Amino acid sequence: MKLSELVTAKRINLDLKSTTKDGVLEELVKLLRLSKPAREALLKTLRSREELGSTGVGKGIAIPHCRSLVVSEVTVAVGRSKKGISFKSMDKKCAFLFFLIVAPPVGDPADYLIALGKVAQAARLMSADKRIKSVKGPKKFIGLIEELER
Amino acid sequence: MNPQLQVLIALQDILLMIREAKDPTQTKALGKMGFKMTNVESLENTRENLENQLSPAILREYSRVTKRHGRIVAPVIRGTCHACFVRIPSAIDAADDRNKTLYRCENCGMYLYWVDK
Ligand SMILES: [Zn+2]
Repeated sequence: MKLSELVTAKRINLDLKSTTKDGVLEELVKLLRLSKPAREALLKTLRSREELGSTGVGKGIAIPHCRSLVVSEVTVAVGRSKKGISFKSMDKKCAFLFFLIVAPPVGDPADYLIALGKVAQAARLMSADKRIKSVKGPKKFIGLIEELER
Repeated sequence: MNPQLQVLIALQDILLMIREAKDPTQTKALGKMGFKMTNVESLENTRENLENQLSPAILREYSRVTKRHGRIVAPVIRGTCHACFVRIPSAIDAADDRNKTLYRCENCGMYLYWVDK
């Protein structure tokens, strides 16, 4: 399981406009193209997850995640903010790369943890690569993920 | 969507999150990835707030079923209840008011939520 296999071009937004944590969550959830009630339910769950502890893992990365009834398979969306957003990360630095992971409540919880681990690993590789801030277009972005995951 | 179903979905997601946050294997694995899960109290507060939004009859059912099974809503994926894996009668699976009316699985009694395709 690789991040490049989990993410599609339609679920990437390289120009997030929000300036707040909540706004970023909304923009990321929008990429999943769910019905309005499902979107609202998922946002509630993601906000609760952030209350439990920030998913900002430092080095400019945040990986909001949860298991929710509103999806039927592990679903990933990626966002990039040029300015960076305060995400209450441990290193107190702004996050500029966001990876949303939502998994269904059914199925093996290990699959979810494996997916989360892979994304966290790929995210770290990406944040260390300077091209990540300038790469243009979702397809090129996926190409870069593939290159880094090789 | 039925407002009570929306609350039940949020509740079930929270119940699962609370369970994960209290499971040492999960918290250890997530901790290694750099995720903090420290404020379980806030989740318990959210759970309580959501429970207060349920009607007395549904709250009773919720308390009874979750006590036994740890959950209350089953996702329906491709016409199958994903709690007991029994097919939903096609008349209900094709109904226009799915997710607008509270349906329960005739086999396991879970409230049903048809997941977006
Ligand atoms: Zn069932």
